[in-house]
Amino acid sequence: MKQRSRSLLLVLLTLGVGLSACKKDPAVEPNPVTPQAPTGVVKLTVVPEWEGAPMQRFTEYRNFMDYRVNVELLKLYLGEVRLANGGVEKALSDVLYFDLGDGPVSQTWRLDTGTWSGMKAGLGVPSLLNYADPAGYGPGHPLNVSNGTYWTWATGYRFVMFEGRYDPDPLSTASLINSYSLHPGRDTCYTAVELFPIGGIQVRQGDTAFVTVRLAVDEFFHSSDGEIDLLTENTAHATNVPLALKLMDNVVRSISVD
Amino acid sequence: MENTIVNEPYVVELPPGAPPMVVPPDNPLTVASVTLGKALFFDRRLSRDGTVSCASCHFPERAFSDTMARSLGVEGRIGMRNSPPLTNLAWHPSFFRDGGVPTLEQQVIAPIHDPLEMDHDIQVAASFLADEEPYAELSELAYGRRLDAWVLSRAIAAYERTLVSGWSRFDRFQQGELAAMSAQEQQGWALFASPEVNCIACHSGFDLSDHSFQNIGQYTAYSDPGRERISLEPGDHGKFKVPTLRNVALTAPYMHDGAMGTLEEVVDHFASGGSPHPNKSPLLQGFTVTNEERAALVAFLHALTDERSIDRLP
Repeated sequence: MKQRSRSLLLVLLTLGVGLSACKKDPAVEPNPVTPQAPTGVVKLTVVPEWEGAPMQRFTEYRNFMDYRVNVELLKLYLGEVRLANGGVEKALSDVLYFDLGDGPVSQTWRLDTGTWSGMKAGLGVPSLLNYADPAGYGPGHPLNVSNGTYWTWATGYRFVMFEGRYDPDPLSTASLINSYSLHPGRDTCYTAVELFPIGGIQVRQGDTAFVTVRLAVDEFFHSSDGEIDLLTENTAHATNVPLALKLMDNVVRSISVD
Repeated sequence: MENTIVNEPYVVELPPGAPPMVVPPDNPLTVASVTLGKALFFDRRLSRDGTVSCASCHFPERAFSDTMARSLGVEGRIGMRNSPPLTNLAWHPSFFRDGGVPTLEQQVIAPIHDPLEMDHDIQVAASFLADEEPYAELSELAYGRRLDAWVLSRAIAAYERTLVSGWSRFDRFQQGELAAMSAQEQQGWALFASPEVNCIACHSGFDLSDHSFQNIGQYTAYSDPGRERISLEPGDHGKFKVPTLRNVALTAPYMHDGAMGTLEEVVDHFASGGSPHPNKSPLLQGFTVTNEERAALVAFLHALTDERSIDRLP
């Protein structure tokens, strides 16, 4: 028994030396490098415009009914933002928040190189996130309550907050007094949008692909499908779902991408 | 601050007949969490200008309700509805008179942000208080993190869950102590539960409310849409959550808008059958009572007042 143990030990030692001898010198071994996939950047910018020019808050404009109007607040959410190419999709963000009161707002992602037809998203907050407890979202999160978009008296977020003042009298020079406040929300208002720039989105190594989403804010009041007369349609705050849906539709139709 | 609080479980004494209390797993009741919640509940700095606390509209001596028809917020702004009592909230399936919010934790955010109430930002309020004692220590003890919106909403909800009502003379009567209620109160109870008066159709169970939403024909045209604001169903217009009747003698004025000042007015309203409204509950058929019976009904409602403090926290 003792002899057998000695023999086994000898075999193991020999094997160990043999294995050790077979090992190459680490100094000459090429470092194992995980190949890094080439990446580029995609930058999405949302630009609010009025008749093709940058929209300025509190500036008096004329809408399609020749009403004197201004815009005092414009915020919106995009949910389930993803790149799309045929049937292939790549998720980018669960939800993005855009406070457009002071002009364009951008979001960037670093991604593997590739070619995509464009982006798909929903205008609004996806249902699962819409009904979660907002206290759990810290500072900087799109769904943080400090953004002032959460309906505290009912669960859920205002998908679009579009507020300002108007005067139906085009000749008046008085200050704009009448206010409008259009706040679509709730699952029924969540609307799919497709952001497909001509030529698609090319993510090239070390390069930035720009996707510019232009919102024609003047067209929020009218589209081929729905006109909003502020004189009678100036409040949608959880109630007035038809008006809320009309605004959502007009916002989606106002979008152009380049 | 002297470290006297330990984070041991806070045991809520439940009255006989109370269902088990369900507490969310992410917000256990501990001495630290409810102590923190109570301190925050009474802190006026949760409002934008430091003038309004939760307790400003929910007085402990009024079963945590208000004496005003509609409470006053910052700068004297008049709130939308009458402040309800805050008892037995652990068993409520939804919050606010229209049931718009599903959890007690989420409910905490609303009055802080409401421009007619505290007009503040829960995150800003929490961050202002976070380094101050006892908040800093209690927050760490209770939730293992700095005071923020999440901690603030959980702590106040935890405190509110401890506000249990169920120690009235009516409860003692129900437990077999027949002398706990006078003959007049017993007569009122019999009427209350009778098929003719039938208050018990909605005001039943441990909380003396089934927490359903009912239009009681208070108006022919409601300026407040009630439950419809949440459900968007026209059939819910003018419907509000059935309130508890516990401590009802302390919680005047009554109804969603505080339009009725006395219990006698309330009894008279239900006796009349209410105003015609397409959504009025079919349970409201009206009834006839003598003055003596009316007095008995009101006496019974007085027997629903707790005989001990609702707030058991020192």
